[in-house]
Amino acid sequence: MDVAYYPGCSAHMMAREYDQSARLVCRQLDLNLQEIDDWNCCGASSAHSFDRLLAANLGARNLALAGQMNTGCVTSPCPCCFIALKTASLELKENEELRGVFEAGGTSSHEIKVTHLLQLLTEEVGLDSITSRVTHRLSGLKLAAYYGCLTRPARIVGFDDPEQPVSLDLLLEGLGAQTVTWSHKAECCGGALAQARTDIVLDLCGEILEAARQAGASAIVAACPLCQINLDTRQQAIQARNGTEFNLPVVYFTQLMGLAFGFSPRSLGFNRLLTDPSPILQTLK
Amino acid sequence: MSFQVGSIDRTFRDELEMACNVDLDQCWECGKCTGGCTTAHNMDYTPRKIIQLIRIGAVKTLMSCNTPWVCVSCRLCVDRCPAGIDIPRIMDYLREKSLAIKDHGPGVDDIILFHKLLLEEVYKRGRVSETALALKFNMQTGQYFKDAGLGQKLLRKGKISPFSSKVRDLNKVRSFFKQEPDRREV
Repeated sequence: MDVAYYPGCSAHMMAREYDQSARLVCRQLDLNLQEIDDWNCCGASSAHSFDRLLAANLGARNLALAGQMNTGCVTSPCPCCFIALKTASLELKENEELRGVFEAGGTSSHEIKVTHLLQLLTEEVGLDSITSRVTHRLSGLKLAAYYGCLTRPARIVGFDDPEQPVSLDLLLEGLGAQTVTWSHKAECCGGALAQARTDIVLDLCGEILEAARQAGASAIVAACPLCQINLDTRQQAIQARNGTEFNLPVVYFTQLMGLAFGFSPRSLGFNRLLTDPSPILQTLK
Repeated sequence: MSFQVGSIDRTFRDELEMACNVDLDQCWECGKCTGGCTTAHNMDYTPRKIIQLIRIGAVKTLMSCNTPWVCVSCRLCVDRCPAGIDIPRIMDYLREKSLAIKDHGPGVDDIILFHKLLLEEVYKRGRVSETALALKFNMQTGQYFKDAGLGQKLLRKGKISPFSSKVRDLNKVRSFFKQEPDRREV
């Protein structure tokens, strides 16, 4: 299956291991991720905060480029990029004028199916296909599946449950791991405030880490570059401030899929994580 | 703040309701938006109070409070609102309208600066380099050593790099901007 792929800025830089592992596991599942040529930034939280039309235009250009690829479907590993694309897609449906600007042949830009990578894998590929590729079951791992804001708002996302999402839990269980029941699976990490209001992000991430620790998880599993970066790179600062030793590796779900498919930790970018993932890697040996 | 019911100016509210496609009469003040709000404890006025401020036409307060800027757009409020009021869209509207206001209180100017620098990156390159953005932010705010230790670790891990990719059709991306982003306003 061919799918237009919108990596987003983080996947090219801070979250390269997410991009790297996503490409590997998708190839294994016969999903051909074709990166959209010349894609632009979705504008993140900043564009829609300043100028709604700017955000719609930035998203619409990416959708128009994806439309020319005739795959019928576009996917992004980043929830922010995904929501931005999906919002632009709805905007294009409503706004005829905007649609006129971006019609450029191929699949009409507002008719492309916009998905997050987790949604594509669980809904289109399916858990059965995924589990049939597992060669190294992740037995012995107790994981906290962390969704953050991925499933909100329900009426735009249209995937999983906004309050009690389960798709990631089911996927991880399909890989042979155990998932914990915990309070913060759909709480926000503070996202883009990490730079300007680090204090707020340290508070929020501290609560998430503490909830995962109390639930007995040995690692947190993320489906978002911002979540992973905040929980992983700010962990030492939070430990120093709260006086609690978390030492919780924060990994991307695609990295764990890769392990279960038999890829080496290095090829999946485990060496790029800040919080040492070796305890969980050793559990699997 | 004191106000008289008979003297409420509805202009601001009407414009906001039209632009955001919301009907604030549907709000019954249950407070679920605020109960779940990620950053309510950091706000001058919680989301529920913001709706009330719009209803009583307290434009000055709405324009100067920190609420829309501290909001992280996690969109939990709209999912929990029994009336389905699109509060994230209202926050976007308030941000857009209050952008020109100077005094938002402590901590807000930095947030606005961050957004401006990010959009400047989009304007210049079509994509955002997290490294360049973080460095520019720290320079602009005079925090030359903020996260310096973390930065070194990230560099060693190959997570950040001074190099980044650029969009070829930059003119198209730039045409979406009403004007070139200007951070000097902050």
